[in-house]
Amino acid sequence: MTSLTIGLIGILAFLALIALRMPIAIAMALAGFAGFSFMVSPQAALNMVAKEMYSNLSSYSLSVIPMFVWMGFLAYYSGIGTKLYIFAYKLIGHYPGGLAIATQVACAVFGAICGSNTATAATMGAIALPEMKKYKYDTSLATASVAAGGVLGVLIPPSVIFIVYGMATEQSVGKLFMAGILPGILLMLLYIAAIYILTLRNPSLGPAGPKSNWRERIDAMRGGLGEVLFVFVLSIGGLFAGWFTPTEAGAVGAAGVLGVSLVERRLSWEGFKKSLVDTTRTSAMIMFMVAGAVMFGRFMAVSRVPFELANWAGALALPSFAIMAIIIFIYLVLGCLIDALALVLLTIPIFYPVAVTTLGYDPIWFGVIIVMVVAMGVITPPVGMNVYIIKGIVPDVPLEVIFKGVWPFLIAILVCIAMLMVFPQIATFLPGLLSK
Amino acid sequence: MKRFSGLVTGLSRVLDQAAGFFLVATMVLIVVNILLRTIFKTPVFGAFEYVGLLTALVIGLSLAYCGVQNAHIDISLVVDWLPARLRDIISVLINIISMCFLAVSAWYVGAYASSMMDSGLVSPTTQMPTYPFVYLIALGMFVYCLVLLVRSIESIMKAAFNR
Repeated sequence: MTSLTIGLIGILAFLALIALRMPIAIAMALAGFAGFSFMVSPQAALNMVAKEMYSNLSSYSLSVIPMFVWMGFLAYYSGIGTKLYIFAYKLIGHYPGGLAIATQVACAVFGAICGSNTATAATMGAIALPEMKKYKYDTSLATASVAAGGVLGVLIPPSVIFIVYGMATEQSVGKLFMAGILPGILLMLLYIAAIYILTLRNPSLGPAGPKSNWRERIDAMRGGLGEVLFVFVLSIGGLFAGWFTPTEAGAVGAAGVLGVSLVERRLSWEGFKKSLVDTTRTSAMIMFMVAGAVMFGRFMAVSRVPFELANWAGALALPSFAIMAIIIFIYLVLGCLIDALALVLLTIPIFYPVAVTTLGYDPIWFGVIIVMVVAMGVITPPVGMNVYIIKGIVPDVPLEVIFKGVWPFLIAILVCIAMLMVFPQIATFLPGLLSK
Repeated sequence: MKRFSGLVTGLSRVLDQAAGFFLVATMVLIVVNILLRTIFKTPVFGAFEYVGLLTALVIGLSLAYCGVQNAHIDISLVVDWLPARLRDIISVLINIISMCFLAVSAWYVGAYASSMMDSGLVSPTTQMPTYPFVYLIALGMFVYCLVLLVRSIESIMKAAFNR
């Protein structure tokens, strides 16, 4: 049997295991172990598993993950999101669809201190949904706008998916974070345009709320926006300025959110303890999966599947954008079935060499595209994570109603991806400044 | 069985609380290091290494409780379509395979730690022995194994009961 055949059998065995509901981390480690034993030796495979387990868990560069995850959960439990939403809606709530638009603005700003799409959707859902219900917003529009708003949380730095992509491809986390800013703002504007068009055509979807005066708006600015800006400038700003490593930026961000919440007495002892439990759980899930993916990647490397695939794609008589479109399509399909982080870890060893080495696409730009494409999966059926989170907040709303409202936002994401394909500078401009 | 399951859950929770403590410690260490570096120009010696080792504890010790909370991501989509009986049998098999693989891995991580101890391996900067950290990762994996053992027994009982 050639090494290529063993590699392909390994991939199939792995897919069978995850289809039978083995945790993805264990399935990757097991398939990696089995393949490596077959191709090298069982003893070498056992040593590889032990060594990778220790070296990945104790890696300084991976220690960035628990720090940024904690920062996000502290922001979630501190209630900073509530203040942000109130500010945004005092500013624009009196326009048709204004509360849904305010949700997008609040999600984008909250995304600046939270790196997870589910935490962003959960935070904003708990605040924005009751308000939109009060003003008789269409349930589909209200719920879908929050679910989709969560995607802004991963595009705007910090972002856990960017960190994992950076680890898997050895790209700078700082550059990736910077690359996400403009696409994040662009996507927010496209979301707003989508809501505007929907409510223009049918004003009953999002009736106007009460108008606030400027004094109320300025009052609402206190206690939310200022704190977020302070923490963002300190943590992400420090990373961009080169003062901090990504891990340090995460720790400074967590300390910043914690400090602000303690000074303003927003965070209870219970909330603090919950933030720790949520952080250790999420970090263990992510880092165990990273370790599993590394083991699987070691097997893939000895089987030469990724290299052969990259060579094959390079020899295809198709223009490079067509191959890229095929890759994006594959991600869209898989994104509907597999969790975003797991999908990035699984597919990067296979598609990254094709896109970057063979086709010559910019690795930072490809990262932004990947984050957007896999993020679509969190709002598409059947396993759209954000939709389930919103369902958890409003259990009486059927899933179909939420999924029905999602399509204008999906179109907005697709338009954003298309714009990034045509104008890659949207993603590469800011990181380009960093390297000068 | 209930007592054993309660014991495993309790043990996992204690490890997770320790992981939470090490998470706070990591953050404090990093922030103190930045402050000392900026204000007094004297960073904490070997902070880089301590952060990595502490992170190993944060993750290693929280693996089991993450399993208790069913938070290790899996895909239920395909299995959900199958008849209940077949689903139960698959669940038994997958739990047992996962448990066995994790047990072997935990054992070898432990063996790796003891080889580090025997050879007197220390971290490059602070010259600190690294084997205790590796043993603790093995412990975390072993307790996660126990969580999967409980799951396996539960799934066997469910499969038998459903018949």
